[in-house]
Amino acid sequence: MLDREYFENLGEKGINFFTTIYEIFILFIESLAAIPKIWFYRRQLVEQLYNFSAKTLPIAAIISIFVGLGSTVQGTYQSSGLIPRYVTVNVIFKSTVIELSPVILALVLAGKLGASLAAEIGSMRISEQIEALETMSLDPVGFLVMPRVIAGLVMLPVITIFANFLAIFSSFFVSTAISQWVTAHEFVNGLKMDYKSFEIIFGCIIKPAVYGFFISLIGSYFGLKTKGGAKGVGESSTLAVVVSAIMIVIFDYYLGELLL
Amino acid sequence: MIKVRGLKKRFEDKEVLKGIDIDIFDNETIVILGPSGQGKTVMIKSMIRLMEPDAGEIYFDDENIREYNKRELENFRKKIAYVFQNSALFDFLDVRENLALFLRMHKRMQEEEIENKIIEALSFVGLTKDVLDKYPEELSGGMKKRVAIARAMIKEPKYIFYDEPTTGLDKKNAELVSNLIKVLKEKISTTSIIVTHDIELMENVSDRVALLKDGKVFFVGKKEEISDETLEYLYSIGDTYEI
Ligand SMILES: Nc1ncnc2c1ncn2[C@@H]1O[C@H](COP(=O)(O)OP(=O)(O)O)[C@@H](O)[C@H]1O
Ligand SMILES: [Mg+2]
Repeated sequence: MLDREYFENLGEKGINFFTTIYEIFILFIESLAAIPKIWFYRRQLVEQLYNFSAKTLPIAAIISIFVGLGSTVQGTYQSSGLIPRYVTVNVIFKSTVIELSPVILALVLAGKLGASLAAEIGSMRISEQIEALETMSLDPVGFLVMPRVIAGLVMLPVITIFANFLAIFSSFFVSTAISQWVTAHEFVNGLKMDYKSFEIIFGCIIKPAVYGFFISLIGSYFGLKTKGGAKGVGESSTLAVVVSAIMIVIFDYYLGELLL
Repeated sequence: MIKVRGLKKRFEDKEVLKGIDIDIFDNETIVILGPSGQGKTVMIKSMIRLMEPDAGEIYFDDENIREYNKRELENFRKKIAYVFQNSALFDFLDVRENLALFLRMHKRMQEEEIENKIIEALSFVGLTKDVLDKYPEELSGGMKKRVAIARAMIKEPKYIFYDEPTTGLDKKNAELVSNLIKVLKEKISTTSIIVTHDIELMENVSDRVALLKDGKVFFVGKKEEISDETLEYLYSIGDTYEI
């Protein structure tokens, strides 16, 4: 039934949605404000840079290799006989490097990094560790959030570049050595065709940087907002993953629209 | 000296602190006693603005800390320490780094000097060097509490706050902790503010006692001045009593 209560609930949800967006924005501003103290919090930053790479490189490797293989098999199957082979290579190359690999990787890392971030900070919140930081004259945003946001911003592009190399290599390997539908020469020609360095920068650096930024910021936000015991920690990490995944697909569209 | 005037704090429809007035003198140990759920934790967290009070003034050494901005507040907190109810050791750091964190972040000290301070604090709370490389999850509740006290004393704070320091500990550990509180006060001549519902702890360590009920401090004085009727009233079921 669409009764009054229903609309009231809906209204409340709407308000919650906008306050969440607003608070995430505020957290972003606070992180920016903490940047001048980056030298003070350098240990934490280095730790997070390391964390973000060590935790993700193995997954990134597996995913990118199979994204490369999968899109090659699919691409050749769909286009066989229709267009010149090096054009197929080109399509596979661009769709993988600019779209598939960055987005899939970001979504998986939203699950991996976003969830662990929210859980980490969330369990600190419920066990009074965040307040303990404050009593030590340390700023939780400067100590916890800012280093993670920077690590996301820096490390996701690094991981994506690494992943894209693996994807191209695995594609090259399956095309030339296993199924042998193109020669190495044709493959390289396909890569070079209509090459625009901005597209590569866009796919390998700009997009992952934006995704990494969102994963860290949103994960930290839900971590800091955690309430009420272990159950609250679980809820925070779920929310962090869901919200950052939504942001990733939305910004995937908008960034493409805006910059390409 | 701490002076609190008209301190209020509410959560949604529930007024937890209804105007707290209290003076705390230098170098004394004051125990704020009250049953569970009376707002003891809210009170001391509001006093150092870990929670933002809704109204009232809080003077530390004649400065109203409610007027402090973020930087002034961070600076102010260098002279206080807080021992949390569940110790709140940083679980991503081992014991050594838990103890070292404040010194590393705020003092220009050589590694050697830091290590010496850590070991001194650790032996003060009766722990040996082999816990230094352990993580909080590997420690018992009593050990965590002792590390938390060591972490607090390393700051050499002027004011030290304890939230239920003996709750959840067995009798032996509770005695140990209450002795530590006494000895620590002598050693670094600090002002100790303890909130607890543990009457034994109160009798053991307090110079003065404040009784908290229904959001107000209704008695401040020496423990000898507390009559049986007063205690009975304190622990009777009031309008905000919680089980
Ligand atoms: N963050 C909070 N949000 C809502 N209510 C709270 C919060 N913290 C404490 N309270 C409420 O304030 C009251 C006093 O809590 P507390 O200070 O923890 O009691 P005590 O420490 O005396 O046992 C309790 O009823 C508790 O439910
Ligand atoms: Mg309490």
